[in-house]
Amino acid sequence: MRYEIRVEGHMSETLTKAFPELDHVMMAGQTVLFGPVVDEAEFYGLLARCQSLGLRVVEMRQLPEWPR
Amino acid sequence: MSAVTAIPEDPVGSTDAYVDPTGEPFLRTRFALPKVPATFLRRERLADHLDQALLTPLTVVNGAAGAGKTLLVADWAAGLTETVAWLTNDAGDQGPGMFWAYVLQALRAAGVAVSDEVGCPADAGLVDHKLLARLAAELSGRERPVVLVLDEYDHVTAPEIADQLESVLQHAEQGLRLVLVTRTEPLLPLHRYRAAGGMTEIRDAELAFTPEEAAALLDRHGLRLPVAAARALVDRTRGWAAGLRLCALAAQESPDPETYLKEFEADRSTVADYLFAEVLRQQTDRTQDLLLRVSVLERFCPDLAEALTGRGGAGPILAELHRQNAFVEHLGHTWYRLHPLFAEILRAHLRARSPDLEPELHRRAAQWLRRSGSLPETLAHGAAAGDWEFTAGALVDDLAIGQLFTGLRSDDLADLFSRMGPETTGAAAELVRAARDLSRRDLDCGLTHLHHAEQRLATGEPGEPEVAAWLSCALLEALAARLTGSPGRAEQAAETAEELEHELPAPLLDKHPELTALLLTHLGSARLWAGRFEDARTALTAVVACPGGASTALPREESLGHLALIDYLDGWPGRAERKALAAMTETERYGLPQPSGSGIGRLVLAAVAVDRDELGRARAFLDEAADACRVAQDPVTAAGRAIAAARLLLARGDTRAAVAAADPAVRADVPSPWAEGHTALVASAVHLAEGRPDSAVEVLEQVPYDDQPACAVQAARARLAAGHRDAAIDTLDRLRAEGRAGPAVTVRAMLVRAQAADEAGDTDAARALVARALVEARRERLRRPFLEAGPRVRRLLGTGPLQELASGWLASPGTRHGGPAGEAAEHSSFVVEELSGRERDVLRRLAQMMSTAEIAADLYVSVNTVKTHLKSVYRKLAVNRRADAVRRARELRLL
Repeated sequence: MRYEIRVEGHMSETLTKAFPELDHVMMAGQTVLFGPVVDEAEFYGLLARCQSLGLRVVEMRQLPEWPR
Repeated sequence: MSAVTAIPEDPVGSTDAYVDPTGEPFLRTRFALPKVPATFLRRERLADHLDQALLTPLTVVNGAAGAGKTLLVADWAAGLTETVAWLTNDAGDQGPGMFWAYVLQALRAAGVAVSDEVGCPADAGLVDHKLLARLAAELSGRERPVVLVLDEYDHVTAPEIADQLESVLQHAEQGLRLVLVTRTEPLLPLHRYRAAGGMTEIRDAELAFTPEEAAALLDRHGLRLPVAAARALVDRTRGWAAGLRLCALAAQESPDPETYLKEFEADRSTVADYLFAEVLRQQTDRTQDLLLRVSVLERFCPDLAEALTGRGGAGPILAELHRQNAFVEHLGHTWYRLHPLFAEILRAHLRARSPDLEPELHRRAAQWLRRSGSLPETLAHGAAAGDWEFTAGALVDDLAIGQLFTGLRSDDLADLFSRMGPETTGAAAELVRAARDLSRRDLDCGLTHLHHAEQRLATGEPGEPEVAAWLSCALLEALAARLTGSPGRAEQAAETAEELEHELPAPLLDKHPELTALLLTHLGSARLWAGRFEDARTALTAVVACPGGASTALPREESLGHLALIDYLDGWPGRAERKALAAMTETERYGLPQPSGSGIGRLVLAAVAVDRDELGRARAFLDEAADACRVAQDPVTAAGRAIAAARLLLARGDTRAAVAAADPAVRADVPSPWAEGHTALVASAVHLAEGRPDSAVEVLEQVPYDDQPACAVQAARARLAAGHRDAAIDTLDRLRAEGRAGPAVTVRAMLVRAQAADEAGDTDAARALVARALVEARRERLRRPFLEAGPRVRRLLGTGPLQELASGWLASPGTRHGGPAGEAAEHSSFVVEELSGRERDVLRRLAQMMSTAEIAADLYVSVNTVKTHLKSVYRKLAVNRRADAVRRARELRLL
């Protein structure tokens, strides 16, 4: 499973290090965190981490698998 | 003045003023109402809304991190006249047992008189619903409600805790007002409370600052801002309290705050990130370093912070940070914690700046805590540092190895040490492994690790910590001895332990009563196995007498269970039953899993039920005991199970299965006279039942039953059946000298004598013996011996005065002919002694719901006379209460 989580605002480099398992990209006033998620438990863990860092999640969705 | 501020202001770190059931101090900081800083802005609209919390059972303050929930509730609670109990929930998986132990302590810390009757959970993962029912009942009796605030409730993730809270809340009625402060939706059925108007709810939208409030907050920080500018700021931060606070701090330092805030509004960074980095940058290097380092701690005092920074002067820095209301919250006296939101961000910064520092910080924290803090925190940081030699050493040196077997933390500890890798090879680590394996009854692995530990200790440097390690070895040796049925080894371990205990400081021993209790239980069990009942009783009684509490609940239950078994084997079912029930009460009180331990108490109850011919109950107890034991049993439990199961099968007439069940099939270093005796006894009874009296005699002749009165009686029975009447009487005569045997043995012996007398033609003597047996058995409700007795005795039972003695408790002999008793007999086929006319009069009025006084007036007799009639009615109907008497009388068509 691959997911992306969009949070409001541009995250600093330091803060993105709180998500070492995800890649990130800034766009249009948002930060997009994306990458593989093992299972639902990890997914909820990521959301909780966003919350505890005071990040505002505006969107999250499952991504299609990479074409192989 | 609020009840909360009345708590004595001792240092609120880890003090021994409050000690949890395992002897570890509760973290008192978790009960502290957070202090409101000077810059806090009280918002009346929210305080007014919160006042509703006193009118509704449930209040939920639900908002994002940094929304200002905690301070809002703390400020409101500090102004209440009601008693307020505060509990800050910790991160990490928290089982119901630990959660409720802390809730109970929070209530007590707030001055709520929770009686000892309520009990306390002894297993971190479990809580008994009866304990919660008792708590709810006590709370419901209060004149004024207690306000229980559970802060950071989002850390509570176990769904059963939500159910339990809901149940306590319902049953506590007007006595409890629950306030949950949380980031996430609690799992309670909120819709139901909402629909019934039973909930006060404050959510993010309401927590958000209005422009006016934002302006007032900035004003408190010395910043004047027109409302229009405040509105823009509120738009940018969405009224988020933490954001506004950081804004104020950042702008304060700026030469032109208004322009600064405009720049912030235009920036597109995430609010927390931007502001946080700004405010952190404004701090001195020293302060920044301190903040980053303490981010690995849940809470800290200056001394602990200094241990992490390696520099002095943390006190003034922390006081100043608190004054600024940036990052740190004050927990009372010298203890602080980071605001949860900033702790996370600080950890992210720490990882970014010094990625390798974290383990070292955990190690330093662990070392400080080992000197001045609590063991669980020490272990948690030691484990986080990955320093397993240190962590295992801390556990062993603290003499806490017994906590791997019993008490509130056993699961947590097992979990913590499951992460320890094989590269850790010190003596303490080996002891932890041995304890883990032995608790799983994995003897081979456990003994290997124990052996390694002993080798390491023998070659190591002597010193005081060594004593604790050797004592831990002795405990594990005793357990191994119990599991292998070797009393000699157990005695040796106990002697070693006694010598070592003198070398240890008394407070350390007092802190861990579970160690001695476990050791003596194992010793008692090993002695019992070898048939040394009196020596076993000495050790087991000492355990029962040891200090109560959750940490010793399991060994006390086990010891009471073993004592019950001794009573049963001696033929005292009533005494055995009382002790077995006491054993179960012991652990129920502490919410241990039911049944817990080896379940030996239930096995004894099963065996007693068989003696009383309550076969359904016996089956149920056996099943419950089997549920308890997922791991292989120790020899005593295995033998107890074999006795109860075989006797039940025998009573049901399943002779083949009885023979198979009678063999406990355990490996043990020494034989057990009573275990072997009972196996032979069952075999003998089966031979008799199948008409082979000679084999019945023979099978018992291989057993030395001098010390086994039950076997002696069976031998006499078999001899009588085989036609050796004199030999039978002779066997019984030798038994009489013993004197230890209780009614379960003596009643059977009298019935054998009665049969012998009847065969010899002395019917009068036989009748007299049966009468005595009936009188003695009646008190204990011992039915089985009469059902086992031959047709001659049963015929006697049906005659004259004997019938009367048997009536009311012993099933009608007439229904018993031709096979074993069924369960149905337990309920319906009691012979009911005829009620007298007057007794019927009383019973009829009882059925009309008349009181004793009314019945007396109606029948023109005294109240005492009515009571006397009632007593004999109850006796004849075998009931204890009015309602049951009426129901029973209707069943028997007496009404």
